[in-house]
Order: sequence, then structure tokens, then C-alpha cells
Amino acid sequence: MFPKRFVLKRLLLLVPVLIGVATLVFSILHLSPGDPALTIAGERASQEFVERIRADLGLNDPIWVQYIDFLGNVAQFDFGESYVINRNTSVREVLADTLPVTLELALYGQLFGILFGIPLGVLSAVKQDTITDHATRVGALTGISVPIFWSGPLLILLFAQVLGILPTSGRISSTYNVAAIRVTGMVTIDTLIAGDWEMFRSAVRHMLLPSLVIGVYSMALISRMMRSSMLEVVRQDYMRTARAKGQGAKITVLKHGFRNALIPVVTIIGIQFGGLLGGAVLTETVFAIGGIGTLLVEAIEVGDYPIVQGTVLTFAFLFTLVNLVVDVTYSYLDPRIQQ
Amino acid sequence: MSPVPSAVRDRGRLVAGGAAVGAVATPVLVIGLVAVGGFAPLSAAETAFAFGGLWFGLALLGWAGSVASGRAIEAAQEHLDADSGWTERRSRRAMARIGGFGAGMMLVAPIVGTAVG
Amino acid sequence: MSTETLTDGEAETASRGLVDRVRASPFLSQLLSNRLALAGLAIILAMIVIAVYARLTLDLEVISRSQLGTNPNRAAPSLEYPFGTDGQARALLPRVAYGAWYAMLFGTVTVGASTVLGVGLGIVAAYYGDITDNVIMRTMDVLLAFPSLLLALALVSIFPDELGLWRAVAALTLVYTPRFARVVRGAALTVLENEYIDATVALGATDPRVLVRHVLPNCLAPITVQSTLNFGLAIIDLAALSFLGFGASAGTPSWGLMLSNGVSQGLLTGVWWWSFFPGLFLALTVLGFNLLGDGMRDALDPRMREAVD
Repeated sequence: MFPKRFVLKRLLLLVPVLIGVATLVFSILHLSPGDPALTIAGERASQEFVERIRADLGLNDPIWVQYIDFLGNVAQFDFGESYVINRNTSVREVLADTLPVTLELALYGQLFGILFGIPLGVLSAVKQDTITDHATRVGALTGISVPIFWSGPLLILLFAQVLGILPTSGRISSTYNVAAIRVTGMVTIDTLIAGDWEMFRSAVRHMLLPSLVIGVYSMALISRMMRSSMLEVVRQDYMRTARAKGQGAKITVLKHGFRNALIPVVTIIGIQFGGLLGGAVLTETVFAIGGIGTLLVEAIEVGDYPIVQGTVLTFAFLFTLVNLVVDVTYSYLDPRIQQ
Repeated sequence: MSPVPSAVRDRGRLVAGGAAVGAVATPVLVIGLVAVGGFAPLSAAETAFAFGGLWFGLALLGWAGSVASGRAIEAAQEHLDADSGWTERRSRRAMARIGGFGAGMMLVAPIVGTAVG
Repeated sequence: MSTETLTDGEAETASRGLVDRVRASPFLSQLLSNRLALAGLAIILAMIVIAVYARLTLDLEVISRSQLGTNPNRAAPSLEYPFGTDGQARALLPRVAYGAWYAMLFGTVTVGASTVLGVGLGIVAAYYGDITDNVIMRTMDVLLAFPSLLLALALVSIFPDELGLWRAVAALTLVYTPRFARVVRGAALTVLENEYIDATVALGATDPRVLVRHVLPNCLAPITVQSTLNFGLAIIDLAALSFLGFGASAGTPSWGLMLSNGVSQGLLTGVWWWSFFPGLFLALTVLGFNLLGDGMRDALDPRMREAVD
């Protein structure tokens, strides 16, 4: 459908993005206060011990030597070992455990946002200036205004405490051993692969509230963009022509307008994926789901720099990859882009 | 398509121009940090290196971002009739300059650092 | 929302002239006919009243300190304690009210500081164009590409812990500045297209004079809209940083911290009022700013609307 060269060229862009982020993180960490060696050793450690750690980490080398070493390690996706959170565990392992958790959450949130946001936006546009339209718009504004760390707890209280129909926290009932069937690290997918319906049901039930809470933001943004984009398209000449040809107005809108109206919405989906990752940090905290978001917060709090570096680069990688997918989708919707 | 050599030469000139500014700025920054900030000379050079790294990283990101989504942004702006005068080309040129500046600092800082340290 | 300042003579007739001027201003008349925007304005005004009242009548030291022994512990909402009490027997109503003061104060500082920074950068970028423009705006573009909460988390670690909530304010100011710079640059470019600016320059006006006297006043409307829209976001982000443990120190009656307390300690024991009331006030305030900001954007001159995204 689209030339392989186009996709390849886009993939190559990951290289400067990752070097850029790595350099930024390296520089910011160097410029910010705090001594990593002291963090590892603890405040009461002896001077010798701190010195030994400093030598082990290469902190005695000039910064430019450290930078080159760091870039070399990043190229192998090696960030060393965690200082504090998971002592003596490689950052790579910690990330492999936590990344799928966040990815799963973000994917379901995004799915929720798209599945509800696009129809709502179209509905709002087709019924412009009616009560339906106003209700949808106010609903979207309310969705943006309600913080995740309020809607989350309230939903937990309602569905888990009062009604008792959904679990309060975590990813799956603790009676199941998910580690045994681990393939992707995403529980809803792993349980499916294992073919265990009981476990799958438990995983889905745990996933419902978090993806709802995180997806509301995407839904609100997407429906807003879809509405304005749809209205824009409807006003254009070729739409009038199509309508003049005698087709029913609503069918015309859906048939001709929809694909064109989707174009700007697709860009928004890519851009707000970053916001989704930010939302994941809060959602994970509320629902006690140990993902990469909570990992980042904890690492910043205790000064676990290898984890901070690894997490931030992973976020950048994800963000770029999603925007790459968006870009390719975009060029499919609007072939003029491809040149 | 414009002939490749001239495009490369043009981009090279942008980066080199930025790098020259960065190279000149480095000793100035180091002296400033030592004189005003009370830094030790070596740590001043290291700070200058990190500072250059900020700009270099930022520019790399910006450059890749303009290339990756530049046409999408331009098209979206055109589509929404909200043209802010943003173009991928101008953005890439600016990023080449900024990146050159950062890279210049990152190249000169070790030299200054080795000389004074 | 008028763009000129009143001189002494004008001030006398201002009260009578106000109605006419509102009618004459398409922005204001359209805004005032938008019921949702007015509802938003009402919410904001109510919050300001609560905030100021709390600040003037409540003693911060008293409501921050543990009240064990004085008040019932973990009491559900009742007539005596309308919002209930928390795990240290502190009544939640005054704490939530004082939280409004914190939200308004720190929200204003965040939005104010990023407005000033953004306006300066945006106007300079638009006026001088070329390299200046590109260097400033491309840097802003890169910052804009980062997700706001993640960028704030990264920046918060640069500032020392002792700053407390001010640390969050400083990080968020840097995060929000690019949004203002972009809007102001767009608006300023529209103004600069007008021929009278060329005429003013030709008549010998200096750069700062042109910027302050002619460009800035004409950018005020989009700046106000952007500030309003971002005020709500700033309050949420500030609370989010407190919620995650970067911001208000323990005991401070900030909504984010109260919510964090409610989630970490109150959720599983069913004390819903710990999270419900602070969150309700937070959500209402943010909704107020979003409703007003949205209405303002719709009322904006279409030429300027392009700039506000």
C-alpha cells in the first residue's frame, strides 16, 4: 500500500530521537543537585565506601568520558543496575517487568478513547447545535476537568466497596499465578494465550476501571477534534455537490466526510498518546498497578538515576513509535503526504 | 529535487555556523562560571559540557520531530486553516543551528577542561 | 477586558459608558450570552470567595495540626462536621476551603509567571522574525512535544526539596511557557500584518515602544483566553504533583495532598469523604475555568482564534 522506503526512513528517525533524549537526560541529571554515589551508599556510609562506589560507576572520569560510555550503553539498551528500588537488578529486567503493565493500560485507554470519542464527535457534528451536541460537548469538558486521582477512587468506592462487583486494585486476582504463563507480560493477553478463561475474566475485570478512567481524557479530546473536523469537512464544496446530487444528507456526511474528517483526528491521537502516558502514572498509583509510571515517580523520589534514565528513554521510544504509526496511517488516509 | 551536494553543503554551513558560536561561547561560559559562580575550572568545563548537551539533545529531538511529523503538522494546519507560518524546512534549519551550537560546546568543553584541569 | 487604560476624564463616564462598551465589544457581548461560560464564571467567583474567606478567617497552623483528642477521629460527615474528619481528627471542611486558597494562589502564580515569560518570548519572536523567531519557537516546539505531566516530573527533580509546593510551581511554569509563547507569537504576527504598525515604525517609534504600545494590547484577548484555559490545567497538574509526592509538605491543606491521603489510607477502609470533598472542589474549579475558557475561545475574533488551539 505504501512504499517500504517511507516506513524505513521513519524508523531510522528513532536513532536521533533516542540520542537526543539520552543526551538531554544525561545533561539534566548532571546539572541537577545530588550525588549518585552518596544515594547508593546511604547518608551514613563511610567515606571509603562512597569513594569505591564512585570509582565503580566511573563517576571519577570527566563528564565527556562518562557521556561516551553512557551513549555506548544506551545503544545496547543497558542502563546498569538499579541503585535503590531493586538493588542488584539490571534496569533492563525491571523495565521488562513494568513496561507491559503500562503498555496494556495505555492501549486499553486509547482503545476506549477511540471507540467512544469518534462516534460521539460525529454525532455531535451531525446534530450540531441540538441538545445532543451540547450534552456531548459539556460531557467532554467535564471529562477533561475531572482529575484521574478523583474519578479513580470514586469508581473504586462505588464498584468495589459499595456494589462489590469489581476488584479494588491490582491487575489480576492474587490467587492466580500469572508469572507461570508469562508471554507478553500483559495479563489479558497472556491469560488468553494460556486459554484459561477464569483467569482471563479476572484480568478483564481488573482492567475495566483503570482503562475507563484513563480513556476518558482521550475520549474527550478525540470527540472534540472529530466534531470540529467533521463540521469543517461538511462545509466544503464537494460535500455540497454530493448533497445536490440527491443523496440523503446524513449518508453523504458519513460516506464522504468521515474519511477526510479523520485525518486531523489521527494526528491528535498520536500527540495525546503522551498525555496518556502521563495519565498512566496517576492511574497506576490509584489502582496500585506497578507499571513504568509508578516506577519513574519512585525513582525520581529516591534518586535512582539508572532507573530514571531507562524509564525516560523507554517513554521516548514509545512516544516516537506511536507517532510513527500515526504518521504512516496518516499517509494512508492522505496519499499526498507521501510524495 | 535539488542536487545533493549543495544541500549537504548548505546544511553543513548551518551546523558549522552554530558550532563556531558554541565553540566561542564555551570559554566565555567557563570563565564566567569560575569568576562569578566560584566553580573549580574542571567542574566549570564539565558544566559547560552538560549545558551544551541540553541544546544538542533538544535540537536532535526537534530536528527528528520536524522530519517525522513536519508534513503532518503542515497539512493539519492547512486543513484547519490555522497556518502559523510553521514549515518543516525552516524548523529543520533552526534545529541544525541550535544543534551545531550544542555540539560546538560539547567539543570544545573537553579541550578547555583538559587544558585547565 | 478593555484594551485601553482609562484616563481621569474617562473614568468619570466609565460607569455609564460601560454598558455601551460591553454592547459594542463583540467579544464581551457574545461571551455574556453564553450560558455555559457564565456558569463557569460563577463557579470561579464562588471559589475565589471561598478561598479569600478561608485565608482571612482560618488559622493555617490550627487546621494543619493533628486534632486527636479534640475531635472525633475518622468521623463520617455530620451536621457538626459537614465534610467529616480525617485520620488525625482534623475537620475536613476548613481544610478543603483552605485548599481553594492554595489552588488559586499557586495556580495564579504558575499561570502568571508562564504568561509573562511566554508573552515576552512570543512577542520578541514575532517582531524580530528570522533567526530569533526560529531559535525561540523551535525550542518551544520541542518542549511542547513532551507530555506536560512527564516533563513536569522530570523538571521537578532539578529544584531542591525545600521549596515544597514552589518546586511544583517552578517546574509547571517552565512546562506552560511554550503554550503562551506560541499563542502570543501567532497573535502578534496578525497584529504586525496591519499597515499602521509599518506607519508607526516609519514615524520613528522604537522597537520596545511598538511592542508595548501597539502589539501587546492587541494580543490581550488571545492571551486572556489561553490563561483561562490553562488555569484549570495548572490547578490539576499542581494537585497531581502533590498527589504523587512532589509538592506540598505533609499536613498542608492542599487538595492534591488530601486526595493522596484519601487514596493511600482511606480507600480500602471505606472513608469516602477523605477523597470525595477535596476532589469535588478540585474538579468543580477546573470545570469552571474550562467552561469559561471554552466560551471565551468561541467568542474570540476568528482571526485571533487561529492562534489559540
